[in-house]
Amino acid sequence: MLALLRRFLISSWLVVVLLLFWWKVSANSESYFWPPLSQIASQFKTNWLFANVADDVLPSLKNLAVGYFIGAPLALFVGAHLGLSEIAQKIFSPLVNFFRSIPGVALVPIFIMLFGIGDQSRRVSIAVAVFFPTLIATIEAVRTSDAVLLDVSRSFRFSSFQSLWRVRVPSGAPMISSGLQVSLQVGFIVMIVSEMLGAFRGLGAFTVEAQQSFMIIDMWTGIIMLGILGYIFNVIFELIEKRALRWYRGQKGLTS
Amino acid sequence: MTHPMRTGARLELKDVTKTYTGHGADKHVLDHISCIVEPGEFLSIVGPSGVGKTTLLRLLTGLTPVTSGEILLDGKKVTSPPEDLAIVLQEYTRSLMPWLTVEKNIELPLKLKKIAKDERGERVQSAIIEVGLEGNGSRYPWQLSGGMQQRVAIARALASRPRILVMDEPFASVDAQTRLDLEDLVLKVRDDFGITTLLVTHDMDEAVYLADRVLVLTGKPAHVAAEIAVPLVYPRDQVETRAHPDFGHLRGEIYQLIRGKR
Repeated sequence: MLALLRRFLISSWLVVVLLLFWWKVSANSESYFWPPLSQIASQFKTNWLFANVADDVLPSLKNLAVGYFIGAPLALFVGAHLGLSEIAQKIFSPLVNFFRSIPGVALVPIFIMLFGIGDQSRRVSIAVAVFFPTLIATIEAVRTSDAVLLDVSRSFRFSSFQSLWRVRVPSGAPMISSGLQVSLQVGFIVMIVSEMLGAFRGLGAFTVEAQQSFMIIDMWTGIIMLGILGYIFNVIFELIEKRALRWYRGQKGLTS
Repeated sequence: MTHPMRTGARLELKDVTKTYTGHGADKHVLDHISCIVEPGEFLSIVGPSGVGKTTLLRLLTGLTPVTSGEILLDGKKVTSPPEDLAIVLQEYTRSLMPWLTVEKNIELPLKLKKIAKDERGERVQSAIIEVGLEGNGSRYPWQLSGGMQQRVAIARALASRPRILVMDEPFASVDAQTRLDLEDLVLKVRDDFGITTLLVTHDMDEAVYLADRVLVLTGKPAHVAAEIAVPLVYPRDQVETRAHPDFGHLRGEIYQLIRGKR
């Protein structure tokens, strides 16, 4: 319990100090663009605890969830098979490298054009953007499986399908997991940007609308909300990863 | 404890030659290797390092194709890893699945062979007992010492009920004391199940201590320098057997073969 408290203090004192600093420095601010943190905080309470959550946060998160849980598993499946075949890699790698070089957010206008400005185009944009980081990590993870482990699998007569899903993918899980994490971050960015371009609701839309109508305090609350959400997602991801990859940390002798 | 007695498999190498091609000059590794291993026999394969012992092992386990000649297991040509064969490799840290517990490691090959759950459980437990790992089933390989990890690898091999067990330098990476224990474990396993056992090693003492017969490979490309029968009685004993005059004699003979023809 005490150790937990200590860990919390170590990892949070800097945030607290910076917030206090911001609070203090902005307290008497008359700048239109840098309102006092106290005002932002009280507006934050009005906006997000929890008045607009159902209208502006949940739909965004739903889009992210739908896009992520379509794009990432698909990338895992396709990447695992591409990783197996050298020929397939040669054929597809120029294509993959081309598309991965395009920032996910740049695809948003195309999908708005194709699917309109509804949630559908946002979900597709997220799914596509999420696809590539996981795809590339999975290809690499599957391609670089340990030769000894593969010999053992062959000696036990595992089929190539069995050794893919029972040996190559699990042994590459740490690398695949990094890809999934990058995908989540990219998905989050695309979620916001897709709402900044022509959406009526959602956190991105809220923030950009506030900015355009000079409601600077509202804009700040939107930005802070985004930061908090992004942070929470990362923490949740890492908690799950830590559990799922306990073996990897144990094997590497990592304690925390 | 009692075990259902199984008969070992008969392995026959006929004029086996291996040449690696590609990447510049061809590399002729093995030259007309012939040998018969009788059911239940324990054969050690020794030779200087780099002679091609591991290549030979890869050929006879079906992991690598022969260039010419034939390998027959119970009269059937080996072209891919055969059903009745199990292997144990030197690199225990790399040959076990670190994401699975000891039990799951042993169980995985059985599961993928679609063996019924009850039988899997029985086989896993009896393999764990056979190698002396009681109480460690739910630990992970990386929580175990090197010797214990190699026991897991042996248990995994046994659980698939092989008729021939092939080991590549299985004790090369464990400490001396553990090594002696594992040697005796392997002899016990051969005794309990009557399986044909092949051991590739660079350690001449170990080769003699364990085997009915020692196959000595030398030269580049490697050929069979000698097949030496080991007349020492079983059960063997780490102290008595090694102190026996015949032991020293055989060891010296093998040493000269390897040194002399290098």
